Amino acid sequence: MKKGMIKATGPFERVVHWCVALSCLLLCLTGMGMMFHSLNGIGTMVGGMANLKTIHNFGGIFFAISLVFTIGMWWKEAGLFSFPEDWQWIMAGGGYLWHVENMPEVGKYNPGQKMFFLAVALFGAVMVVSGLIIWFPFSFAVSLVRMMYVLHALGFVIIFAFFFIHLYLVTVGAPGSAPAMFTGWVTKAWVKKQHPKWLKEMEEDGTLVVYGEEKCSKKGRC
Amino acid sequence: MKKELVKLIDLSRCTACRGCQVACKQWNELPAKRTRNLGSYQNPPDLQWNTWTLIRFQEHEKKDGKVNWLFRKDGCMHCTDAACIKVCPTGALYHTEFGSVSMHADKCIGCKACITACPFSVPKYDPETNKIAKCDLCYTRLQVNQPPACVLSCPTGALQIGAKDAMIKKAYARAAELGGDANVYGDKFVNGTHVVYVLPERADVYDHLPVDPKVPLEMIIWKDVLKPAALLTAGAVVAGCFLHYITHGPKTPDDETTCEGGNKS
Repeated sequence: MKKGMIKATGPFERVVHWCVALSCLLLCLTGMGMMFHSLNGIGTMVGGMANLKTIHNFGGIFFAISLVFTIGMWWKEAGLFSFPEDWQWIMAGGGYLWHVENMPEVGKYNPGQKMFFLAVALFGAVMVVSGLIIWFPFSFAVSLVRMMYVLHALGFVIIFAFFFIHLYLVTVGAPGSAPAMFTGWVTKAWVKKQHPKWLKEMEEDGTLVVYGEEKCSKKGRC
Repeated sequence: MKKELVKLIDLSRCTACRGCQVACKQWNELPAKRTRNLGSYQNPPDLQWNTWTLIRFQEHEKKDGKVNWLFRKDGCMHCTDAACIKVCPTGALYHTEFGSVSMHADKCIGCKACITACPFSVPKYDPETNKIAKCDLCYTRLQVNQPPACVLSCPTGALQIGAKDAMIKKAYARAAELGGDANVYGDKFVNGTHVVYVLPERADVYDHLPVDPKVPLEMIIWKDVLKPAALLTAGAVVAGCFLHYITHGPKTPDDETTCEGGNKS
């Protein structure tokens, strides 16, 4: 690790992130294998559609558990908007879509990230509940099970669309972001650009952890 | 393509001998299961994975106080616009060249979506094989120009099979002949079923017979709206991201940080 890098995430955060991310991806793939006849080949790869269904169902349980940890871990920081600055950010399209003077300074999570978190939390829960009802349809009224198919498909539309935005931003759209979820260390320049208010908050609170200078920055006396 | 076939069930001629029920079990090698006597000739109480056709017995009091004993042969209606085929994820359920709905049992994964979708509650689940089962209008018999086992067994002519148009014509002629509340059931919904009833009473009189069956709206939203929407939205998002990259450009940090550099500023 290079000196001067800033700690953005802890190991627990990263493990939970990847549990929910990889299981979500697995569920999208296995689900699409069942949703589109043209993708039934995904089933062939795992030894048949029956296996695909089993992987999807039990992958869903893993996703559900991961989602509980995800929500518990992030809802305070990423689940609540703070007005008026978040509203200002949304109205300016986050500065991503057109040139904006005087963007409000972003804290640990920008409203776009908060929306993504809320979409995953809300529709993730919808997917878990509707999925369980579809899995055991005889325990519920037919009219309810039918509605669950609609919700399950709707949740997929939303999560699948958000997934590509997420993928774009962490790869080429906002370079320097991905290490936050791999090593946990990001450059100071990146924090300054993406989350300046968070940087200030950490500096003020003395919670900023800089690689190579942990001790002094922890005490906040640098 | 061979011509579409329709099985005509003229309930006015049915004596509830249940020959069709037994013939179906025999031809399709479906085991009988022990049931309890519930005070009705109707046995088993409902369609099962091992009972693809069932005579329903029903006591119906007419307006003049007379009690009628109604019989109805229940089973797959072989819809043209078949909800079960629409939702089947593996293509296990499919239309045959006769217009009937048949099933590749080896492809069924027991997801039970067809059970939820069917407006007639026809497909039944067998937990032992983890597959669903239902009438296939004796597809293997139709292929060699033989009538389905039920039709062959029927002693009164209540069951017939033939070309779609001819059967529907026959059905209307018979309903007209019977007069009163007699009506034809099956040709007017889900783009026409390949099983058509001549009902001596109005459709709403019969137990477990939907008056206006249709592919459930939920299944249409799922398969015809949200399924393509998933691809369209994802495609639009990917295209939007690419456009963003080539027009607006990425959001890049201003400089690279080192311990000596940015940190101390």
